[in-house]
Amino acid sequence: MGLVARLVTGGVWIVAGALKLPDPAASVRAVRAYDLLPETIVPTVGHLLPVLEVVIGLCLVLGLLTRAAALLSALLFLAFIVGIASAWSRGLQIECGCFGGGGFSADATDDYPWEIARDVGLLVLSLWLVWRPRTKFAVDDLLFRRPERHLDVEEVR
Amino acid sequence: MSKKSADRSRSARAQAALVAQERAERRKQMMVVGLVVAALALVVGIGFLISSMRDTTGETPEAVPNGVTDSYAVVVGDESAPTTITLFADLQCPVCKAFEDATADQVEQAVAAGKVKVEYRPISILDEASTTDYSSRALNALMVVLDTTGVDAFVDYQRLLFENQPAEGTAGLSDDELIEYAVQAGADEGEIRGPIEDKVFEQWIRNATDQASTEGVNGTPTVLIDGEPAGATPQESAQAVLEAVA
Repeated sequence: MGLVARLVTGGVWIVAGALKLPDPAASVRAVRAYDLLPETIVPTVGHLLPVLEVVIGLCLVLGLLTRAAALLSALLFLAFIVGIASAWSRGLQIECGCFGGGGFSADATDDYPWEIARDVGLLVLSLWLVWRPRTKFAVDDLLFRRPERHLDVEEVR
Repeated sequence: MSKKSADRSRSARAQAALVAQERAERRKQMMVVGLVVAALALVVGIGFLISSMRDTTGETPEAVPNGVTDSYAVVVGDESAPTTITLFADLQCPVCKAFEDATADQVEQAVAAGKVKVEYRPISILDEASTTDYSSRALNALMVVLDTTGVDAFVDYQRLLFENQPAEGTAGLSDDELIEYAVQAGADEGEIRGPIEDKVFEQWIRNATDQASTEGVNGTPTVLIDGEPAGATPQESAQAVLEAVA
């Protein structure tokens, strides 16, 4: 379960980030289309998000700092869910820009529930990993071997 | 010293050694975490810088086409016309083509009659829809025609480009084809070939596109009549424009 959660969530992040990396200007416009953030930080967020997504994705797939990466992943999914729900409730018709693109879409209102459902699913997987960060085939296992327990000493005490 | 107390002090020492060992272990782990976090932060920071540098939005363009306003508009028609139609469009956008097909004749007549003026705000957001960045190549060619040949040729050429719009997902029209249609619209091949092939207005196009985005344009076509959004859907926009020019 943990390994699957890591690979699925991490894989989605890597794809989502990588698709946005080639066109930073489009990423900025997609962020701006939500009309939620002040204009002064929109370009920064637009440039930072794709990079952050790829790095979080790599961390999850590799199992590197799993708990911290999963926590960031959960927070980002939460932010995206809020963003999409907010766009929906304000009657905006925009593509979520989740995998590149973004901006007006005539089908937006039909797509919102699916996008939110997908992000909720990924949020749950991320939270699972925050709760149970120890998973198979993780770099964490190599970095942080659990010190062997000396039960005999416990007994003496 | 009794045997019992000797045992106790030995076990106390053993425990102290163990605690120290665990502490050292934890310190080592914290150092590893610190190093990994620092390395990841560095990667994110470098990636962010590269993204920021690759996005040249807002930089001063090397060339600005003749005949555009400071607000990235091409104004067609009588300055004193009572109604202004503002049109944000992308040459690769099929819905813009449909809009153009539905309204171009009527708008042209109303412009000629002095009833309306049109503020074209061409932008390029659909480069990913072709394999050759057709959207921005075509827009560059359109601005080259405006620059060299004037606003009438601009209108004719834009019409031609919408009529011959390539399907999304294809390579689009080649530069040669773009030049061919430009010549049909009245441009001189010798004058336009260089600037079309060199994409001289690329930076101007990027700035124009970003400016539209900051004005709240999230897609194309976006239509304003006297500054007010006209219609929630492209069909409604076309309807509103037809009513405005009737």
